[in-house]
Amino acid sequence: MTDRALPKSASVVIVGGGMQGLSCAVNLALLGIRDIVVLDAGYWQGGASGRNGCLIRPGFGGHEWTRLFELSWREWTTLSRKLGHNVMFTERGYTMIAETGPSADMLRNASRLHREYGITSEILTPRQLSGVLPAINQACVTAALHQPRGGMAPHHSVMKGYLHACRKKGIDVRYRTAMTGFDMHDRSVRGVYVKDHLIRCDTVVIAAGPQSPGLARQAQAEIDGYMMRIEAMALEPMRPLIGPALALIDSLAYFHQTARGEVVGGTEVPETPQENLRADVPAMAAMARVYTRLFPQLADIRILRQWAGLLHISSDLAPLLGQHPRVRDLWFSAGWSYGFAGAPGAGLLMAKAIARGKVDEIMRPFALDRFEKGNPIEEAGVVMIKN
Amino acid sequence: MIRIAWNNTTLHASPGDTVAAALYRHGITTIASTRKLHEPMGYSGSYVGGVLARVDGRPNVRLDQQPVREGMRVESQNRWPGASCDLLSLARFLPPRWVHGGFEHGRFTPRRGRAYLLWERLLAHLAGVGRPPPRLPSASERPARKLCVDVLVVGGGPAGQRAANDLARSGRTVALVSRGATLGRYAQAMGIAPAALHGDVTVLSGMELCGSYRCGRLMIAAPVDPERGAVAIEAGRLVLATGKSSMPPMVRNSHLPGVMDAHAAVLLGHFHAVPAGTAVAVVGTGAETMVARRLARLGSGIAYCGDVSGLARIHGHSRVTGIDIGNRRIRCDAVVHAGAWRSDPALAFQARAEGVLQVSDVMAADADISSVGFCHEPDQDIHVPDRMDPALRICPCMDVTAGELMGLIDRAVTDPEILKRLTSCGMGPCQGFPCWESMLALLAKRTGQPVGRLVRPSHRPPRRALTVAQAAGLCDVVEPL
Ligand SMILES: Cc1cc2nc3c(=O)[nH]c(=O)nc-3n(C[C@H](O)[C@H](O)[C@H](O)COP(=O)(O)OP(=O)(O)OC[C@H]3O[C@@H](n4cnc5c(N)ncnc54)[C@H](O)[C@@H]3O)c2cc1C
Repeated sequence: MTDRALPKSASVVIVGGGMQGLSCAVNLALLGIRDIVVLDAGYWQGGASGRNGCLIRPGFGGHEWTRLFELSWREWTTLSRKLGHNVMFTERGYTMIAETGPSADMLRNASRLHREYGITSEILTPRQLSGVLPAINQACVTAALHQPRGGMAPHHSVMKGYLHACRKKGIDVRYRTAMTGFDMHDRSVRGVYVKDHLIRCDTVVIAAGPQSPGLARQAQAEIDGYMMRIEAMALEPMRPLIGPALALIDSLAYFHQTARGEVVGGTEVPETPQENLRADVPAMAAMARVYTRLFPQLADIRILRQWAGLLHISSDLAPLLGQHPRVRDLWFSAGWSYGFAGAPGAGLLMAKAIARGKVDEIMRPFALDRFEKGNPIEEAGVVMIKN
Repeated sequence: MIRIAWNNTTLHASPGDTVAAALYRHGITTIASTRKLHEPMGYSGSYVGGVLARVDGRPNVRLDQQPVREGMRVESQNRWPGASCDLLSLARFLPPRWVHGGFEHGRFTPRRGRAYLLWERLLAHLAGVGRPPPRLPSASERPARKLCVDVLVVGGGPAGQRAANDLARSGRTVALVSRGATLGRYAQAMGIAPAALHGDVTVLSGMELCGSYRCGRLMIAAPVDPERGAVAIEAGRLVLATGKSSMPPMVRNSHLPGVMDAHAAVLLGHFHAVPAGTAVAVVGTGAETMVARRLARLGSGIAYCGDVSGLARIHGHSRVTGIDIGNRRIRCDAVVHAGAWRSDPALAFQARAEGVLQVSDVMAADADISSVGFCHEPDQDIHVPDRMDPALRICPCMDVTAGELMGLIDRAVTDPEILKRLTSCGMGPCQGFPCWESMLALLAKRTGQPVGRLVRPSHRPPRRALTVAQAAGLCDVVEPL
């Protein structure tokens, strides 16, 4: 994007200019860190951060996720002010739908947990549900959990906000500039290479989404997880039909109607994990089946487009946050499946840990070595296939 | 005679008419309006947004493909308070900068809370184009079917038919997809006699081949009629005979009702006996004389015929009233363009590229795609005037003007993917064709690069062809990988 020469040194180099990388950069700058460089191999919004479903919710099914996402949700409510740019976060509510008995039980437990953390969350009666979602086909619903303060934000405007804040704070953000190697000394990183140009630095943060495990390997810093493609699609625009965001635990589908009228959402089908950005037919067909069942009015609406995005998925589906246990000064914000909703909070926690050396209680359970220590995170409230 | 209701009036139509043709015959050229500024749009052959209307309660029906039916109710969309009066068209008087940036511009809007929710609701009504269809207790999927062939030929024109015949004769199993209900409609309209198709070729007519998946080995054909099911086609080879489309001239008002590509104008005249106009200006890159002659035969008066690069401006408010050619003003009621001719790159792009040239520039070498006929010839460059008019609409459905794009390009935003994301150019119903051709031509001119060097934004399937119920039917015929 720019022809300026790359700097020779930096305090922190962040690899990946998606939501995670930019949020970490902005929060570091707010804590007084200078000379931050963000490198991104692709174009702005080209990663999962420009391809996601845009959904945001505070409450999940377990303690660890709920604490992390409740913190992140609070950040969302003040994000526009923090970034000096309207990110268009809208609290239109987030409704989770159970279509089977066990999922309904899970939602009831989750609702109790949410209230423990002070999150507004309620199981809707059929009447309340038709108030929130008049167009839904109630015959498909066993139970519905509503978080009225959840919602969504268009990823374009959020990425615009983050980039705007980075530029204002003097952070050097470079797109179409891939990091190609590490400068290592005695199991600690001292810099990164962009082709043969070395940027010396004290700290490297890997927030490279699907490419994170591959980059980690280059520094002999294995991390858990693998690359996976998921897909979404947009229907042609219509006036408002669906108010809140929706997630279906049993059909593994999530969707919402954007402020410009398109119904955007995606689902997953059991397939061998794909490592490419090609959209495929089964996920689109499965999503269409969900729409036909749940919102019969959508049956004859046409699909505008479909796309794929790549994620880094960890064994317990939870993010990997923190310093690598065996390589010094190499940090990760990776393994994100809900990295859009989680970015404002994660950036804050990561920045505090890096700048102040203090790992917050909320962040600690997501440490990279939780698998070898036998502490994977249990979470029933994510809408994601477990491979 | 068939009677249809258009907004508050009753019109007579002939059997075999499309709704767009019937309206044009009655002098109704404005069908729809642009999404933000409510500029009038009509049947152009270039922009899908110009022919979308509500038919019998179903929103966003393409009137150029919809046959008339007795008692059909057709209403224009995106108007307030009613079909016959659109106060929202006053939006045209807003400073252009206010509406830049797609629909995601939050500068003057509340930042959160109740006020934001109210604003968002207003925005959703303004942006939503059509009302949702009426409520149904349940809906059924349209069962799809699967077809396996050696070769799939896309395009039912003479080149496609010839290719299909040759392949069938050599013993290959062949399917041929054509958008029209009958094959070779344009050739017929130009006076070329149809050839006979080999008896073994499977013909899928009235279908849009809307997406190529899995490196071009799996294709989806979406029937124009929403009652029919989709077809998933597995083919070893893909032959594109999709011809070329004429790109709208890069001058002010090229989106106005009355500006049409040569195909649309000739089809109107031949199949519906509707002349393009009483005084038509035909511009092009060489084919204009032939097209003008044909249009004259089909009942149009020809006011001008000449090279498109001489065209400086199109005049008119709600439809074309004249053009400027050099320093000369010519009165006309329609402008028909015959070039620059370019092929729709979507299917080949989807089969070959990663979907987007992101971290790895992976192109699939193994996709077996070839093109025949007009489609096989090199694309023509679009003429970009030296002095661009900022009011020219590059992507009219989404109200993206040359001014908005030039503003960004001049601030060093030259990545096509980013231009698309910042303006929503090409994200409306046409999904990038022809809008990205014009956007890239402008970008190339402005930055002094050859067009061929620019990276294209991703052409994404299934490009507004498949309905939700048709897509749902595909669940049972396509296995996940
Ligand atoms: C279809 C879909 C729907 C989703 N829905 C939701 C949702 O509703 N809610 C939610 O919270 N989350 C959702 N997600 C997940 C969310 O989008 C991601 O978790 C999040 O965007 C991750 O952000 P990131 O910054 O870690 O990764 P990315 O945005 O992928 O950014 C990683 C960046 O790293 C760059 N990079 C890679 N390698 C290198 C290198 N060598 N050098 C430099 N840069 C490099 C890439 O170019 C890329 O830009 C969805 C994802 C998808 C695909």
